[in-house]
Amino acid sequence: MHVADGDTVAAALYRAGVRTFSRSVKYHRRRGLYCGTGDCPNCLMTVDGQPAVRTCVAAGRDGMSVTRSGGWPSADRDLLHVTESLHRVMPVGFYYKTFIRPRFAWPIAERVIRRATGLGKLPPTREAARKVVRHEHVDVLVIGAGAAGLGAARDSVTSSARSVIVCDEGRVGAGVAPGAPLDRIRELEAEVRADGSVIVLEDHVAIGVYDGLHVPLASELELVHVYPERVVVATGASQTHAVFPGNDLPGVMLGRAAAALAGVHRVRPGDRAVMAVGNEEGLDHLDTLLAVGVSIVALVVPAALADRVPDGVGEVVVDGHVHEARGRAAVREVVLGRRGRGKRFACDLLVLSLGLAPRDGLARMALADEPVTLAGDAARGVDEEPLARDGTVCLCEDVSVHDLEQAWREGYRGAEILKRYTTTTMGPCQGAMCGRALSCFAAARGGSVHAGSSAATAPRTTARPPARPVTLETLAAGVHEIVDKRTSLHELHVAAGARLDRSGGWLRPFTYGDWREEYRAVRERVSIMDVGTLGKFTIGGPDASALVGRVFPCRTDDLTPGRTRYVLTLDEAGYVMDDGLLARVGDLEWYLTSTSGGAGRTDARLRNFADRFALDVHVLDRTSQWGAINVAGPHARDLLEQLTDDDVGTDAMPFPGFADITVAGIACRAIRTGFVGELAFELHHPRSRGPALWRALAEAGRRWNLVPHGLDALELLRLEKGHLYLGQDTMPDDTPTKLGMAWAVDTSKPWFVGKLALERMEARSLPRRHVGLEFTGCPAHAAGLRGEPLLAGGDVVGRVTSAERSIALDRAIGLGWVRSVGDGFPTRFTVGSGAIATVVPTPFYDAGGARMRG
Amino acid sequence: MQVPCGRCGSRPFTEFTFGGEWRELDAPDPESDFARVYLPENPEGPQRERWFHVMGCRTWSTVLRDTRTNRIERDTRTNRIERDTRTNEMG
Repeated sequence: MHVADGDTVAAALYRAGVRTFSRSVKYHRRRGLYCGTGDCPNCLMTVDGQPAVRTCVAAGRDGMSVTRSGGWPSADRDLLHVTESLHRVMPVGFYYKTFIRPRFAWPIAERVIRRATGLGKLPPTREAARKVVRHEHVDVLVIGAGAAGLGAARDSVTSSARSVIVCDEGRVGAGVAPGAPLDRIRELEAEVRADGSVIVLEDHVAIGVYDGLHVPLASELELVHVYPERVVVATGASQTHAVFPGNDLPGVMLGRAAAALAGVHRVRPGDRAVMAVGNEEGLDHLDTLLAVGVSIVALVVPAALADRVPDGVGEVVVDGHVHEARGRAAVREVVLGRRGRGKRFACDLLVLSLGLAPRDGLARMALADEPVTLAGDAARGVDEEPLARDGTVCLCEDVSVHDLEQAWREGYRGAEILKRYTTTTMGPCQGAMCGRALSCFAAARGGSVHAGSSAATAPRTTARPPARPVTLETLAAGVHEIVDKRTSLHELHVAAGARLDRSGGWLRPFTYGDWREEYRAVRERVSIMDVGTLGKFTIGGPDASALVGRVFPCRTDDLTPGRTRYVLTLDEAGYVMDDGLLARVGDLEWYLTSTSGGAGRTDARLRNFADRFALDVHVLDRTSQWGAINVAGPHARDLLEQLTDDDVGTDAMPFPGFADITVAGIACRAIRTGFVGELAFELHHPRSRGPALWRALAEAGRRWNLVPHGLDALELLRLEKGHLYLGQDTMPDDTPTKLGMAWAVDTSKPWFVGKLALERMEARSLPRRHVGLEFTGCPAHAAGLRGEPLLAGGDVVGRVTSAERSIALDRAIGLGWVRSVGDGFPTRFTVGSGAIATVVPTPFYDAGGARMRG
Repeated sequence: MQVPCGRCGSRPFTEFTFGGEWRELDAPDPESDFARVYLPENPEGPQRERWFHVMGCRTWSTVLRDTRTNRIERDTRTNRIERDTRTNEMG
């Protein structure tokens, strides 16, 4: 197929003889080129794999692959066209009423409907385009680069604005036939382009006007977020959509489409045409068509323009109207009416240039007091649109006047509710064609305007983004991959064959092969774990002690330098958000660790209270600056002594405490921890030294057959100690008392975040509490019980939140929560398929804590 | 929507975390504390609220946002950075 220079895809297809451009979405009616200005859905096609391309405005290129959307097996020979004869059994609201019962029928029906509807298929194998996102802050954004838009851009810079963007969804001047209007556009364009403060963005579609003001512009390659001080909407006007029987037949065309084919692309749109003209622009279209040799067999014209009809036109019908268009695959004859009498004309083209309707959708999205103005034709009034007896109102969704009537009878009496029920205006054209016809129908039926009156007075339905169809690629612009945080030890984990997975925003090792062997290394020998994901914060300044005293519920003023304390973090409702370790470094300096997933919240929270209390504090987030390795096991101290000259004995580093020491030549903050229940030192160190420290520990640990452990082993290690995983074992409304951790709250403190809330809740009886559980009669691997309900007397009274078979105790143990029943809490439950759960005290392992105190 | 950050100026709201309606830090007794935490004013009109510039300078700002229009402006009364600036100017 030949593609001429400057051709749109649709023009090239039309020249090659294509007349059916698509099939309608519901009845599979043939649809031909109609508006020619990118407003209607008729020419949507799949171009080079991209569905729903508006081919009447998309530039054509040789070698393009164009397929018609809709229709099966093809749009030309569409077997699904029979659905039109089923019109009577597929009324509006069809989807809401049918296929609901019997329920099993829907999955089958859905498969058929999916094939029968839609606008083409997404290409599953196509590589996603990586659209770039950029942001522009300007004084003025002008949407539309026609004469009005370019004029507004020029006037803005010459008056006050320092920066202006003028955008258009096509090329400047595209679709405008040579002549005075195009000359004017070229003149303005040259003027605007010569000014350095104006940016002209061609092929950029304005998606919508969002509050703020914010207008996203989408092109094939990028998404530009524009934040203008004010917006000028100069998107022009579209030609009025005429509603009459047969108005959607191929060969029925708006004047601008016909004139563009003839005047711009030099394609004769038809041989014998009937034309209906309502304004002066229509007379220009008439001239253009006559110039390329289209025979005008009949012309409808208002009396005011009748004396300006040129010679060479067949029958002139003054003050008439188009009554009906007839034909099967395309228009064959048109009935023109005048004063109740009709006359038939054989033709292959019906051209409608009846009037204009402003494209003001973008401006109507803005709030009333926002600086968004209209310019040019977009600011003009609406031409009269008589109410039709029948015909297609909504081209996108195949809604006829008949359908609107039926919906009205069913009680959908108002433009907004008619829109929702019939889906009129909800298709790809977003009401560009049908919006006024719908409003006019509702206003006329509702009696607020009389039938046949102007659409200008009918209230419109709400305009919302997107103004134009948006691709998924556009919505995903700037998002190219999921970013997983990695610790400095990532490469070492990969080299060791670790199974890595996502946890708390990080990629973390779950096991290096045999998690039970990793577990035994911790319990019996020595092991290391990468805990660099923990939240790590330095809190310093004259008011640092005041801040930690107020944000944590435990006592903090008695902590001396070198000592640490387990802290819960409460929100203002008294609920447990997070936990961690608080270490006193000096008089004015504290060090805090939080859970891996809670680091971001902890940072925001500390800064919020520092700000609200106007405290002189600096919060330094060291989470990604420092790494951390936990050295745990009975030989942990022996291992450290191989690598440090500092004293790591119980006197120098008691539990719970910390010391700044040098390990393998690397400055570390060594913190005694108890999460796994063995003697353990968390070595916090500069991130860049992480791999060296890990290698030194692994090397020195060989005499104890050291193997590192991952999250799988940690799950059982901490469970045997009865330690909670916040978020897994807890719920969003857990108080310290519900968790059995009232010891972590010092109620004698005058104030801390959440104190009053706790007092209020403590005054009531406890509705729920966390418990340790022991299971009997369950499968060898108890992990399957996690998430199971706990039943007592046939009622669900709780739930298992963690479960595992303990290696140290050779029993199935777990954690869970239990609701209060009557005056107390049940202690014996059935769980899963026949297992019994009993409440037992925690910790399960080393209850006295002698091993971790080491 | 653009949020006025005390350090960075107007930035897209996607760089921020919403911190909820501004509320007092303390209450005289547990019952009024319940109202403080759970019964926000939720006005139709200007609302004083907190925004955290999480993808930026990580400072908190207090703004007045009209909940009907999303028009947003900096609340000069309750912003710490501006207080600091004033102190510096005075001292």
